[in-house]
Amino acid sequence: MIRRIVSFFIVIFGVLLLTFLLIHLVPGDPVEVMLGESASTADRAQLREDLGLNQPLIQQFGSYIAKLAHGNLGRSIHTKTPIIELIKTRYPATLKLAVLSLLIGLVIGIPLGIYAALKANHWQDFMVTIVSVRFSAMPAFWLGPMLMLVFAVWLGWLPVSGMESRASIILPAITLGFGLSAILTRMTRTSLLEVLNDDFIRTARAKGLSEKTVIARHALRAALLPIITIVGLQMGSLLAGTVITETIFSWDGIGRLLVESIEKRDYPVTQACVLVVALSYVLVNLVTDVLYKFADPRVRFN
Amino acid sequence: MKWLITLLCTLCLVACKPTVEHAEINFAITQAPLNLDPRYATDAASERVSRLIYQPLVDFDAISKLLPILASWQAINDKEYRFTLNKSRAPFHNQVPLTAADVKATYDSLLQLKDSPHAAEFANIESIKVEDENTILFQLEQADTHFPAKLIIGILPKNLIETGHDFSHHPVGNGPLKFVSWQNKLTLQRINDGQIISLQEVKDPTVRVLKLLRGEADLIQGDLPPELVKYLQNKPEISVKSSIGANFSYLGLNMQDATLQNLKVRLAITHAIDRQAIIDKVMVKNSRIAGAILPPEHWAGNANLKPYDYNPALAKKLLTEAGVKLPLKLVYKTSTDAQRVRFATILQAQMQPAGIALEIRSLDWGTFFEDVKQGNFQLFGLTWVGIKTPEIYAKAFSTNNVPPNGFNRGRYADAELDKLLANEDWPAATARIYAQLPYIPLWYEGQFAAMQKNIINYAPKPDGNWDNLTTIIRSVTISNAH
Repeated sequence: MIRRIVSFFIVIFGVLLLTFLLIHLVPGDPVEVMLGESASTADRAQLREDLGLNQPLIQQFGSYIAKLAHGNLGRSIHTKTPIIELIKTRYPATLKLAVLSLLIGLVIGIPLGIYAALKANHWQDFMVTIVSVRFSAMPAFWLGPMLMLVFAVWLGWLPVSGMESRASIILPAITLGFGLSAILTRMTRTSLLEVLNDDFIRTARAKGLSEKTVIARHALRAALLPIITIVGLQMGSLLAGTVITETIFSWDGIGRLLVESIEKRDYPVTQACVLVVALSYVLVNLVTDVLYKFADPRVRFN
Repeated sequence: MKWLITLLCTLCLVACKPTVEHAEINFAITQAPLNLDPRYATDAASERVSRLIYQPLVDFDAISKLLPILASWQAINDKEYRFTLNKSRAPFHNQVPLTAADVKATYDSLLQLKDSPHAAEFANIESIKVEDENTILFQLEQADTHFPAKLIIGILPKNLIETGHDFSHHPVGNGPLKFVSWQNKLTLQRINDGQIISLQEVKDPTVRVLKLLRGEADLIQGDLPPELVKYLQNKPEISVKSSIGANFSYLGLNMQDATLQNLKVRLAITHAIDRQAIIDKVMVKNSRIAGAILPPEHWAGNANLKPYDYNPALAKKLLTEAGVKLPLKLVYKTSTDAQRVRFATILQAQMQPAGIALEIRSLDWGTFFEDVKQGNFQLFGLTWVGIKTPEIYAKAFSTNNVPPNGFNRGRYADAELDKLLANEDWPAATARIYAQLPYIPLWYEGQFAAMQKNIINYAPKPDGNWDNLTTIIRSVTISNAH
């Protein structure tokens, strides 16, 4: 566990360093962004000095880390909002959307995958395959507006976009959840089919256990490991923000904030967003590892 | 599969509720304002909202002549201007009266801000004196006959400036609309009748249209591809209004590029673009060919600039005369905006018969604009938005104004033009620019707004501002449910 904690800090430090360096390599200057094109050279130089941007890179990085250690993420160049406030409002929105999308993906994907595995090579399996391939082939920028057209404009059941009502989350969550469910269906089917041919399943059946018990207690548990891996990876991506879905549905999440900050060269916001995304990934991976142990007691943290 | 259908139906039924009639007017905008402090606001949305919340000393009328808003002025000499506040001025939204001290405090604070993009405009101010409650005297270090036209920054209350109030997120002005809240959407309230108006960012054009059709938005304006505008025009429940535009789109040329320094090459590129065909086929109604940054109806506009015709044969001949090896390969940089990329591909196709092979590089806005400022381009496409004064010609073409000291992004150097600009001979200067083609004028894109049928008293303005939110009304309370 100690090794894991150490590697956690190494990863985060690496992310911070890389982001810091990359941001200083891309074209664009925060002083230009702040002052525009009319400012005099003297004014630019003065502001650069005030912001510490004329110091050596290593010194700038050191002062960034020192501020970070005190929980100071700085302020947005454009909006002057403290970045911690931006993260506090944007991250929960992303988290909510990610969790609901994942639930939709799991609720649809795993049962469909089990059903397809049990009906392997029958027409039902074929139909599930077609549906899941369709789901995975529908990009969010197409599926989102289609769902809006049907459920919001034609049927009038749900809001088109925004975050005003509780119902606003349903369409973006379905948009993300459908794609996720397709991946989970395929993974569950494949994984379960492999397990169903194993000796311990034959033994369970020979003992006279019902098919339901064999599947639920023995086969599914053994087939869970690759599914947990996929769920962990997908959850990491969802927490990194799903820019297209967030943009289409006017969902003020972290992904949209990150992309907008890159477009506007709002460097402190970009750095903070990348840090939050990296933290999310690392934590989700940690949780995934813990879940492995629950799913399969043979797994050890070593 | 029954359970799946049940799940979806349950989700929808849980969410299902009748569309609520709302008294507020919802405006779906492309880009939310970034900063509502007029001392910092530079993006179009922030400036448009600031015009509603704050009032400046002066503003511009329909032909961009200077107009007193909070104050009339008197030039004592080229270095001293006296402004007298109108007696009928409104108090600030916090009910504190607006006085000369607030004007001084606003401009003094602007001069002290080191990170304000507007501070440089006022660096010439030597002192600001409050003569009495209604009178302010501005004294300049150097003569500037255009000084009054610069005083378009909204006035802030002195007491709040002194306490370091966060105007960026909680603006307090004395404009016709006051700030109510700003979370997922910006909510404003009109002072004279209490009408609530909310502005919500909806980036995707298709989604803006769907929100309008669903009744979640009452109004949308600009930034739609023409096919969506036509689609809305055919909807009986929607009304589409359009007007001429004043925002100038152009192709920027790098005048330090050896090939583009040749006037014949620049003329050839100009003759290789069929602007009328683009306007007719892929632009909204009321778009028109442009000749100069300021449109002909502007007091400094030039209506005598005859459009260059589309003539690929002539373009090819000019290139041959210029000694260019055909096809002439040029790199055109643009942003990733879908409509801009569409224009780029059309330009590419139109230029081909003229012997020009246009390579398109579509870059994210930050990289693209940085390249433009750094002079790292051959051709680029941009639009000047909301330009009101002819000083823009000096900023954009004067030899002294090459970045980082100005907007002469093409690095154009022309001593004769410099003289005309210094003499403020605008007809001659615009004619010279049009003949020399340091940039290629394209068009003024028409403005349009689409709204619910029961929304009245709103029409788009030529520069795309939202000033008509001060008059917009919902004619009767009609349910938005379809």
